[in-house]
Amino acid sequence: MAPENQTTYALDDEVDFVVIGSGSAGGIIAKELSTSGFSVVVLEQGPFRTAADFTHDSLSVFMFQELQDGGSRNSQQTFRREEGETAQVPQRAPAFYASGVGGSSVHFTGNFWRLRESDFTERSMLGPISGTTFADWPISYEELEPYYTRVDWEIGVSGTPGPDDSFRSRQFPLPPFPIKSSGVLMERGAQKLGWTVQPEPHAILSGPLNGRPGCINCGFCMGFGCEVNAKSSTLAAMIPDAMASGNCEIRAECAVFRIETNEQDRASEVMYYDPDGNERAQKAKAIVLSANGAETPRLLLNSASERHPDGLANSSGFVGRNLMFNSHANVQAVFEHPLNDYKGVQVSRMVHHFYESDPARGFYGGGGIDARPFMAAVPLTFSLMGHRPEGQNWGAEFKKNLEHDFTRTMFLFGSGTSLPMDRNNITIDPTHKDRWGRPSLRITYKDHDDDMALAHFLQDRSAELLDAAGATKAWRAPIHHQSNGAHLLGTCRMGDDPSRSVVDRYHRSHDISNLFICDGSSMVTSGRGQPTMTIMALAFRAAEHIAAAANNNEV
Amino acid sequence: MSIEALTRRLFLQGSGTVLGTAMMRAGVPAFIAASQAACSAREDAATYRTLTSDEAREFITVAARILPTTDSPGATEAGAVYFFDTAFSTFFANMAEPARQMLAGFQAGVAARYPGAEFFSDLDADDQDEYLRSVEQTPFFQGARFMTLAGVFGMSMYGGNRENIGWKLVGMDGPPHAWAAPFGYYDAQYMEQQAGGKQDGA
Repeated sequence: MAPENQTTYALDDEVDFVVIGSGSAGGIIAKELSTSGFSVVVLEQGPFRTAADFTHDSLSVFMFQELQDGGSRNSQQTFRREEGETAQVPQRAPAFYASGVGGSSVHFTGNFWRLRESDFTERSMLGPISGTTFADWPISYEELEPYYTRVDWEIGVSGTPGPDDSFRSRQFPLPPFPIKSSGVLMERGAQKLGWTVQPEPHAILSGPLNGRPGCINCGFCMGFGCEVNAKSSTLAAMIPDAMASGNCEIRAECAVFRIETNEQDRASEVMYYDPDGNERAQKAKAIVLSANGAETPRLLLNSASERHPDGLANSSGFVGRNLMFNSHANVQAVFEHPLNDYKGVQVSRMVHHFYESDPARGFYGGGGIDARPFMAAVPLTFSLMGHRPEGQNWGAEFKKNLEHDFTRTMFLFGSGTSLPMDRNNITIDPTHKDRWGRPSLRITYKDHDDDMALAHFLQDRSAELLDAAGATKAWRAPIHHQSNGAHLLGTCRMGDDPSRSVVDRYHRSHDISNLFICDGSSMVTSGRGQPTMTIMALAFRAAEHIAAAANNNEV
Repeated sequence: MSIEALTRRLFLQGSGTVLGTAMMRAGVPAFIAASQAACSAREDAATYRTLTSDEAREFITVAARILPTTDSPGATEAGAVYFFDTAFSTFFANMAEPARQMLAGFQAGVAARYPGAEFFSDLDADDQDEYLRSVEQTPFFQGARFMTLAGVFGMSMYGGNRENIGWKLVGMDGPPHAWAAPFGYYDAQYMEQQAGGKQDGA
């Protein structure tokens, strides 16, 4: 529960900023603006949990989707593969994100890769790709680097530089986590194949930092909230400072349904449902929209008006377009001896040997492979989804394999690029509504052929590595076109050209001068599959520019 | 704790009870004996919140084929049926009636296929397995499989996974869940080699 003694503002107080969303971007921006002296109201649709509320209850977390507001049944998100189909409400919500103060930084796994210099300029380096909106970023790695470093030190990242990482201005504040058995096996296999392996950087503290404790290696990271605040969520790392500033009110369980503009075409107030379901409106001088790469475009589209019939901030038509999930593939393996990979953070070693796109492969894209327990992190998911593919999935033989395999299993998990395409997008469903009555978000998504080729490539390399590492048995998860994603990227991209982007290089809407948008939606390309480090760096950078603009009366 | 260590501990616990001693004489491994002793004691005292005793017996029997008792405990010893009971009286209350109807259909199939049998639990283990294979794709079986696995591997606060039997079964230590490296065989070996290498080089 939120502390009762926090600063509060009246609805008709015109606060300096309303920040919509308290996740990886919103949590940082709220902290930065409030500690700079601006009055801030944060509207968060999920509850205000604290570390004491987090459990190791795999049934509640994975099956009942406790941290995702119960999933599909409440969100009523819909999915379709292609335009023209009638979208349906699937069993698992297609946009997978955590609902609550701290957003998805609460339930993320904490793998924290920076982008490389090449990520920002790939379009220039590689040329156009037909059927896509592949583009360079308006900013460079060099411009973002100081903010990556702020994430390292202020959010808390543990690690050590990899051999091919782009430059960094300062070392990690904390060393990497100890190598796990899965990491040892990855090194063994990669060494035989001549591939580079490096320690995984984590947004989890390997030791005390900034008044927070180090990790206890409980292993309940992926999908769970951290009960000791060692995971570097904005809930643990940013929200306490925002509230202590005396300039920030966090309103949890408040679901925004519309941003209103006035006759001067400025964003003037934010309409939301309070915890009792009553309509409220908070006046503000400026608005920062950080609701995530699915909810941000949905809110803009749901804020259509006579002046903005295609949705707010959407003169380009790019709001909701270019959705990227990142490509994924995995291979599961069993080894002779127990790894006990369920202990500790998920990943201790990764291969970035295939990070760069290589035209010789015949397709665009690159990615990383990491070693992790994945489904074998908890017995429930392992028994339901991690068992061997052959034979009966019940009975004595099934049970014998569970007993043998749980501690001896590891996955190689490949993550890589997705290409931005107009056809992959967020729109508003014409019939369904969520539990608040807001028109549902509809996802249309079909991976690009190159994304599929990359997934197969990463899976092939993973299988080779596991073989070289001495796996007694390995099998591949079938690769299908993706129907859901936890990485929600590209849907309000940043750019210098107002006809080809939604926000400028400082995250200000091209159309509405006092509306700023910063989250996964800002990303122009997808990176290689661990985007939150970049979302957080963008947030620190955006906050700095927004504060400077406000101080100069330029908002 | 390893299965071997766990077995030793439970052997000591189980051997102190009358039932435990009897089962040891009967050649039942100590781990099972101890689990069954505790389970029987619990069943004697059990009153189900929503299941009838006939329904409970059927679910116990189905769960026992999905995760059978072998040389290690299964769904019965983990008390999976108490998970069914808790679920159908709380978070899956709206599924209790559909589950009852599906169970009735499942039992009707038993009666039709095996003359003289009324309940699934009337069949011997081979017939039970044969019948389950014939209904593997039905919603009843899929649901029973999910409930059994959730009852064995979910948290014990939901009634199943009694004394964390399910977690011990697959070799998961704890709770509490808090550890320090080395975690497994290969990283322990790696650390030893690193330490040895440093000593050699010193």
